[in-house]
Amino acid sequence: MSTVSVEQVLSDFLNRVEKMPESLTPDLNLYADGIGLDSLDAAELSAVLEDELGSSPFDADEMPETVGDVIAFYDAAAAS
Amino acid sequence: MGREPRVVIVTGGSRGLGAGIVRSYLESGDLVATCARSITPEVEAWQSDPATADRFLWGAADLAKVEDADAFVKAVVEKWGRVDVLINNAGVARDGIHSQFSDEDIDTVVDLNIKGTLYVTRAVGRKMLVKRSGHIVNISSIVGLSGYRGLATYSATKAALDGMTRALARELGSRGIVVNGVAPGYLKTEMSHGLDADQLNQIVRRTPAGRLGDPEDIARVCQFLTDPANTYLTGQVIVVDGGLTS
Repeated sequence: MSTVSVEQVLSDFLNRVEKMPESLTPDLNLYADGIGLDSLDAAELSAVLEDELGSSPFDADEMPETVGDVIAFYDAAAAS
Repeated sequence: MGREPRVVIVTGGSRGLGAGIVRSYLESGDLVATCARSITPEVEAWQSDPATADRFLWGAADLAKVEDADAFVKAVVEKWGRVDVLINNAGVARDGIHSQFSDEDIDTVVDLNIKGTLYVTRAVGRKMLVKRSGHIVNISSIVGLSGYRGLATYSATKAALDGMTRALARELGSRGIVVNGVAPGYLKTEMSHGLDADQLNQIVRRTPAGRLGDPEDIARVCQFLTDPANTYLTGQVIVVDGGLTS
């Protein structure tokens, strides 16, 4: 298991694509009415998460909609 | 050499055109990985030659199988950390009158030429997205543009690659990823692609350059399209056919 936190990977990515919100709260939507990721940003984030954490919630059956969904995916993986 | 070696994947580089493209990138000092279903003397020579052994990676893979495609790309990234250039060359042809074509032949050609190319490009594209740069070349064919009697399935797959080239250029352009196609005319290696000697002689007579193409003719265009300085020529399929279709 990587020692890098999900929050850190998310934060580094959002800073890099210049879409970092004032605060990264679990209920924040990833897309248009929240952080504002487009589909290509999401694909890039998915690849970054996979590289850093070994798996991606975007490859799961249910696509994440919020920051909390992304974090919950890794919490569930760690608990199983 | 004045620049950092690029990490180059050439699919189907064990023989013929693919081997010519591998040789070109090895000669330009790059790190080159290739795959095919079986190894050849050319691959074994690159593996053992002190001038290339450290810069060459071979993987046995059937790219029609998604797990093979993903594993090959993963092996390249684990060894060299990134992919700068992807040359989608792997392909297979079966010839025959289409009304007599078998299900198996249709599947073989479609699975490798289209699905295999999509699998590899998806895996490499993820890596290129993260680093926000890369060059992709899809090796098409003039038969995707003009068609050829007895090559309906093969022609269909090459036309599909041209569509993929244009779509991906649009999709990935904003992330610094350049996508083009090269449509070779008839190469000397075509003897293995469903055309007999009489057909090839007829083609030579109709070709302004007066000869069939060599792998080097195609590799030279791949090098041009994947030059790090090329960040503007994208979404195009370059016909390299000695003037045959001009």
